[in-house]
Amino acid sequence: MKEPLLGAFETPTHNHMLGARQRLDVPMRRYRNAEQVDYCIVGVGSAGGVLLQRLARAGFSVVGLEAGPFWDTERDWVSDEAGSYNLYWNDLRITGGEDPLALGANNSGRGVGGGSVHWAGFTPRLHPSDFRIHSQDGVGVDWPISYEEIKPYYELLEKEIPVSGPAYFPWGDPHGYPYGPHPMGGCGDILIKGCTKLDIRVSIGGPVAILAGSHGDRPHCIYRGFCIQGCKVGAKQSTLISHVPDALEHGAEIRDHCMVSRIHLGKDGRVTGVTYFDTNGREAEQKAKAIIVCGYAIETPRLLLNSACPGHENGLANSSGTLGRYLMAQAGNVVLGRFEELVRMYKAPPAHALTEEFYETDPKRGFARGFAVQTVGPLPIAFARQMMVAKGAWGWGMRQVMMDYNHWGAIALLGEILPWEDNRVELAGEKDRNGIPVAKVTFNLHDNDKKMIEYGKNKVMEIMYAAGAEEVVQEARYAHLVGGARMGNDPRTSVVDKFGRTHDIPNLFVCDGSVMPTQGSANPGLTIQALAARTGDYLISQRSETLSRSTHSTKQPSIRYDLSPPGTWGKGVPRLT
Amino acid sequence: MSRREHSARPVNPETGDPLPVRAQPGYYPGFRTLSQKAFWDEATRNIVLSRLEIIPPIRFFSAEEAPLISAICDRLLPQDDRDELHKIPVVNFIDDRLHANRLDGYRFEGMPTDQEAYRLGLQGISKIAQHLYHNSFVDLDPLEQESVLQTLHDGHPPAGQEIWQGLPVHRFWLLLVQDVLGAYYAHPFAWDEIGFGGPAYPRGYMRLENGDPEPWEVDEHRYQWDPPPGSPSAKFTPVGGSSEHKGSPGQGGTH
Repeated sequence: MKEPLLGAFETPTHNHMLGARQRLDVPMRRYRNAEQVDYCIVGVGSAGGVLLQRLARAGFSVVGLEAGPFWDTERDWVSDEAGSYNLYWNDLRITGGEDPLALGANNSGRGVGGGSVHWAGFTPRLHPSDFRIHSQDGVGVDWPISYEEIKPYYELLEKEIPVSGPAYFPWGDPHGYPYGPHPMGGCGDILIKGCTKLDIRVSIGGPVAILAGSHGDRPHCIYRGFCIQGCKVGAKQSTLISHVPDALEHGAEIRDHCMVSRIHLGKDGRVTGVTYFDTNGREAEQKAKAIIVCGYAIETPRLLLNSACPGHENGLANSSGTLGRYLMAQAGNVVLGRFEELVRMYKAPPAHALTEEFYETDPKRGFARGFAVQTVGPLPIAFARQMMVAKGAWGWGMRQVMMDYNHWGAIALLGEILPWEDNRVELAGEKDRNGIPVAKVTFNLHDNDKKMIEYGKNKVMEIMYAAGAEEVVQEARYAHLVGGARMGNDPRTSVVDKFGRTHDIPNLFVCDGSVMPTQGSANPGLTIQALAARTGDYLISQRSETLSRSTHSTKQPSIRYDLSPPGTWGKGVPRLT
Repeated sequence: MSRREHSARPVNPETGDPLPVRAQPGYYPGFRTLSQKAFWDEATRNIVLSRLEIIPPIRFFSAEEAPLISAICDRLLPQDDRDELHKIPVVNFIDDRLHANRLDGYRFEGMPTDQEAYRLGLQGISKIAQHLYHNSFVDLDPLEQESVLQTLHDGHPPAGQEIWQGLPVHRFWLLLVQDVLGAYYAHPFAWDEIGFGGPAYPRGYMRLENGDPEPWEVDEHRYQWDPPPGSPSAKFTPVGGSSEHKGSPGQGGTH
């Protein structure tokens, strides 16, 4: 039999499940290494999954190289904290600075779907003000795009994910959601009660990337509470279940357990392919006409730094010297309150209610920008580790406080830490098992950040007391990672342009959270996926220009509504504004 | 009853008598998450049951280190009120992590590898025990052992400075305690103790509000108990001593 024109197909080797009901049964295309594909995507996570789907649908040959496994959710995922270890990026990284970040389980995914596999699923949009905080508040930097430019992509992704939430979300640019809000759990009730006492508005039941009703072959939420351990139900979105099946159906290939170590540059100043270590630890090379790095805020700078070569001694796409810099995490202080009555916070998704009442700058508070307050729902191991710091508990004290686990509720700060040049990713002296230098992360809080955290933490504690807690403690921590390869119009101060194209190399792109110049007080997941869809539309509109020439347009193409996964359309979104 | 057994058990606050050893301490008598295992998916059932059925052998810690780390874990998360059949083998799970080199995805700058940190930390703890009580840690009584560990919690170990110079004591303390917590509260016996409903796929939960129990969960039945009198670990003092310690970010995922 003759081989198909674009390479061989491989049928699934087992009953591959993506959630409780969705079965992956399409054969996957297999490209040969020497075959020059149109696009090679490094990292099939939140952004990589969406891009893979868009480019495949538009007819490009595209390979996604993913360092982790291609999950079969029934076989690989469990309703268990300790058993979910493999969902996280657990390889060595060095973390330092005055306020070092915890990495791994806290913020870094591994495997197809990436961090969207273990996010809690909050999907607020950025506010219009987030795109111009330098003009408006004199801090950070403005984005090269406005809210209006990303808004259609927010609306589109809210349908593709799809997002459950209230009919009217009052903050930023007010809007409603296609699926209805979720019922409340114990921590949501605490947030409502505390905020109501203090006359603070709360959004309940969302916005979250968790289905309140079934959607095609994805069932609705069953309120089991293990969202950040990977949703076996398939109710919480990850790109693994929302975009990857459609990508494969349209001819994309995903090569899992493939860790890219280096990007190659040709004599003409264009990238030509990547070297990676495959599932057996063997080195291989994939040729491509263009490369999109989607490795997130740490692995993206690490790969570009590790790809330094003559003419690019400081790393690929780093003529500005900003690669790896302006790394951000959000302040995520968890506030825990003990109640006389039982709470049982392990039920319901951790993410189900929030307020953005403190999101914007208020000059009276003495710092720029602000924060959100959100529900969390730590399971026993996470809760015990929080108590280790929040109460200084160990030994008999730990046993005692843990026997009261069901009396505690938790809500958390999500505060905007500003982009600072000294918060960065570099290469450490140590190497991983493949001999690739690992990342070293440096993080320092600055004055504005400290003031915001102090004020925000006290406000969240005030809410917890107002809800009726008899004892309130808190643990300082951080949530999410963005920045490190920021977008901008000026090649001297940014790594990529507003579409993710590196200023230095015309066929090398970055598309993930690392391109975000600022982060607001919104969880970054929705914004990352929206930016990926937008970059996808741009690449598709450029067609062959991106793949062959050095000249390129900087005009925003019109949004493509015909490239969404099946089941996106026909949902009602209330329009109350 | 020997002195050691007596001083290690929680007491009835009214009588001062030690509480009886139980199969299941905690306020949820008769509650067993494992009673629901038929309603769990296979992958989850396998991994939870493996914790009861497959106790990893000690391979990382040496024959000299094993009794010491065991005695340390017995104080960091005491189980003196559990009967022998229902003790959770915390040390074996920690040993297994170190043997298999399962990392948390990061290492603080200035910290040695996790394995090296444990080796050094055990030496440091031995030195503190010798310095304070002129005896080896394993031969101290439980309250003395707690006092030794309290100096690490406070960030002021009184001996072994040559070790703590290369092993930041605050970071080592958090590494040690978080490993112990990760092993203990992963075990279904611990879930029964604290009334955590456990795995719930594909069945799910339905009573989400007001702390209401599912039909298969049980109500809380509290009883009064105090930690062993004089126990330093019952006092809830800030990690790193009285001054607020910098740079102890949260470890596991919450957001």
